[in-house]
Amino acid sequence: MNGGVRAQPGLDPVPADPGAASPAAGAGATVGVPGYPGPYAVGRYAARLRERLRRFAQVSLIGEATGVRIGAGPNVYFELRDSDGAIPCAMWRTDFERQGLSAEELRDGAEVVAAGGCDFYPGSASASPRFAFRVQELRLAGEGDLLARLARLRRQLAAEGVFDPQKLLPLPRLPRRIGVVTADGSAARRDFLAGLERRGWEGTIVWAYAPVQDRRAAPAITAAVRDLAAFAEVEAIVVMRGGGSIADLWAFCDETLCRTVALTPVPVISAVGHEVDRTLIDDVAAVCCSTPTHAAEAAVGVDCRAARQALAAAARTVDSNGRAAVLVRARSLAAYSRAPRDHLGRHRRRLHQLARELRAASARGRMLQLDYQRRIASTVMRRKADAAARTAAAEVRALPGRARTLAGSERRARERRAASLAAFAAALRAHDPERTLERGYALALDEHGEPLMTPDAVRRARRFDLRIAGGTVAAEALDSKEER
Amino acid sequence: MTTGSTTTDPATTYEAAVERLEQIIARLDSNQAGLRETLELCGEGRGLIEFAAGELEAVGRGLEELRLDELIQRLEAP
Repeated sequence: MNGGVRAQPGLDPVPADPGAASPAAGAGATVGVPGYPGPYAVGRYAARLRERLRRFAQVSLIGEATGVRIGAGPNVYFELRDSDGAIPCAMWRTDFERQGLSAEELRDGAEVVAAGGCDFYPGSASASPRFAFRVQELRLAGEGDLLARLARLRRQLAAEGVFDPQKLLPLPRLPRRIGVVTADGSAARRDFLAGLERRGWEGTIVWAYAPVQDRRAAPAITAAVRDLAAFAEVEAIVVMRGGGSIADLWAFCDETLCRTVALTPVPVISAVGHEVDRTLIDDVAAVCCSTPTHAAEAAVGVDCRAARQALAAAARTVDSNGRAAVLVRARSLAAYSRAPRDHLGRHRRRLHQLARELRAASARGRMLQLDYQRRIASTVMRRKADAAARTAAAEVRALPGRARTLAGSERRARERRAASLAAFAAALRAHDPERTLERGYALALDEHGEPLMTPDAVRRARRFDLRIAGGTVAAEALDSKEER
Repeated sequence: MTTGSTTTDPATTYEAAVERLEQIIARLDSNQAGLRETLELCGEGRGLIEFAAGELEAVGRGLEELRLDELIQRLEAP
């Protein structure tokens, strides 16, 4: 520590000026601390401190009023607080009454704008000193004030990355256990249950009931989120409430709540207010929904009834494919096994068919051939007949000539035969024994009429006929001497 | 396409099971899987269906409502 610079000009509200604030009376008898001016009388120091604080700029502050005390005394006390800090405030009762605010309006948790400046009560020998922000003007924070404050906080949290961690958490589509932070008996609770019923979801809900509007809301909601994640073994947390003004929803813009949600390892689904109301928890949460019904659908992404039907259909598909995979192939194999026999059968039938066709073709061929031959024969016969007719006609025409020729030939043949007969008759007559007999010769014949050609034959016959020209005479051989 | 395991990963989620089941059915419906792959896919599919049906069964036995404060009291009870 550098004791020589402890009293920094401009920062120390009480200048270390011995002339302005002389050391306590009897300084000659007191001993200071080396490096530290003084010692000064504390009462004077406190008075100088008040003077210095009162010279601070007059400002207006916005924050949540807590610890409001409106008693019978001359002052109204409360604290202004936000997530970064707090400051005690005091307001003269006359000033408070001049604002027109009721005690109900300045309640704990109310967002207010207080204007004034720093003040310090230096105390006394029996009264304790007190620092306070002396409020001279006070009003409830308007929507514009809250929205401006919300925008600043949103920028700050976004810059710090508070909005990101929840987005990285996987949101189960079919959780078995869901934690819900909401007000007991709220309409949001009823709507959420109706949404789950439509999904056909009948798991476990862990209700974490908490105030959702007053100054206790943000800490209670924060604790509920933290405890649900730590103790309830939930797979998703839903934080929800119905609609309202931004002041009504201000608890869900609490910085501590937002940081807690960001660090929660369980996905958080926010359904705060309506679609137009966007609180900070909506930015931090894994999923932001506009209504509790929508939150139910987000928490249970699966329509359980439809999923059961789809699963049954999938089971049927898988089973049918499994059976078909075997049956179809078994049938194919059976068909393959029958293929050679079928092939032979087809060929056999084909051959039979060809044979039938061949026989039919042969019959047709024979018929055609026969017909052809008939036609040919008919033609030939017709031509032969025609030719025969022509020949017959020619023969008929030639017949008279031939008759004439035949007659001539007959006549000539008759003439030739007559000539031959005449020649034969002449020759015959030349050889006729009668003609020999006529020339004086005789013919000896035996009793049978056969000629006797030799003298011995005549002798042996002895009696014989002697034929001569003009007749036969019986004769007898008298001389038996041999012919010489 | 890889046929994958015929056994279901016990650590799988309902979403993963349904997604894989959809892939299996798409593959089966394509009629491009051979006999061995088909039988393996059917086996895996049956496992996934059983798992998914168990998950659906777990959220179909009737709504149960608990209170966080009562749970904490029970946990903190000596």
